[in-house]
This record gives sequence, C-alpha cells and structure tokens, in this order.
Amino acid sequence: MAQNDQALLMRLRDSGLEFVVIGGVCVVYHGVPVATFDLDICCPFGEANVLKIESAVKDLNPVHRLTANRLRLDQTRGSFKDLKNIYLQTDLGKLDCLGEVAGLGSYEKALQQSVLHSMSFGEFRMLNLDALIAAKTAAGRQKDLDAVRLLRAVKERKEQQKELF
Amino acid sequence: MIDEETLAQMNGKYACPPDAGPAWRAAMEYGFDMSLIEESLKLTPEQRLAEHQQAINFFIELQESGQSHGAK
Repeated sequence: MAQNDQALLMRLRDSGLEFVVIGGVCVVYHGVPVATFDLDICCPFGEANVLKIESAVKDLNPVHRLTANRLRLDQTRGSFKDLKNIYLQTDLGKLDCLGEVAGLGSYEKALQQSVLHSMSFGEFRMLNLDALIAAKTAAGRQKDLDAVRLLRAVKERKEQQKELF
Repeated sequence: MIDEETLAQMNGKYACPPDAGPAWRAAMEYGFDMSLIEESLKLTPEQRLAEHQQAINFFIELQESGQSHGAK
C-alpha cells in the first residue's frame, strides 16, 4: 500500500481545508529521521471541514481504517457533523485528521504554534519545534519519548547554530 | 599512521561535536546514532521529507516483497 504524503498534502491544500501538519512527518521536517507510515494533521472539524477532507480524497477509495468493517467515507456523511477525528486509509496512504493535539489542545492552539513553510509543492503549516516536543511528550509512547530526546537535541543544536535552519 | 581515535571512528565510533550540549550528549549516551541527526540537519526541510518519502517507498516495497514471498 502506497504512502505518498506530498500528494496527500497537495490534495488537502487544494480542498481549501486549513490544517497543521503534526506527527512523524513533522518530526522529519524538524530534522529527526524517523520512519512514519501515516500523515497526521490537525484541522478544524464540523461538517463543512469534513466535506473538504472528503473532497480531497474522494477518488482515492477512502475508508475509515479503524472501523471493524472499514466503512467507506461516503457512506458516513450523515455522521460528518459529529466527528472529532478521522482515520482514513486511501489509495495514497493513511491520513489521520485530528481535531485536537495532545499537549496543545484545539486546532486554534496548534495553529498558533505552527510555522508556515514554503516548499516546491506549496506552503504548509508545521507545528513549531517547541509545540512538537510538547505534543510528543504528552503522547507519551516509547516512540514519542524517543523522538522527544532527539528533538530536544535538535533544538539545542539549533540554538547553538542558527545557520542550520 | 592512523591514530587511535581515527581508527575507532573508522570502526563506527561517533565523533561527538566538541561544542555539543547536554541534550545532544544525553541522546548520544542513550544510544541514538547522532550522526544521522547531523546529516539530517544539513538538509533543507524539503530535502528531509523527500528522503523520508524515498525511505517509506523502500520499506513498503520490502514489505510487499516479503509478503509475496511468504515472509512472516
């Protein structure tokens, strides 16, 4: 099964959804080379925003990957207004959309602690380093705490060598 | 003549930057390969994500190859 984070990011941007990249991709962005097999974003929820997510992936056979029978996303429109998170499997990989970030709070909090980064395929918001450390610390799994050790080292190095960033 | 330290580095000993701070040294002592972090920090964020994508593609290819060959 493919995992094409760049293509997913471009589709989400084109849908008009506001979002901040969180999770492993953001860890990589900040300089810690971990292997992560999904794209995690934080975004505002509500029916209109879930419809934007759907529009971004509707031709990618999206299913709720954590439901026992992997419900198709388009079969669950009646519940869009009630969703707080969505965990999807698509033809371009796993996409997890969260309404809150542990350790930070709501999308607005994540947005406040994000940086806008311009890349060749567009501008995207990433959690800043301090926020990512807080989020990973709050997540608390061993892999998160391992990432925190390295992110703290990167932060320290960043402060020592501003030219690296 | 190769000195002892260089020989150790040739054999895999990590040369910690002399100005490395406590968090860097703590991560190193915890067992992380900090040379990978150093290399990553030399890249732009976009280059890091591109390398990550390549690695993921490789992992997935390996996984699918293993599955098609009956690996558990």
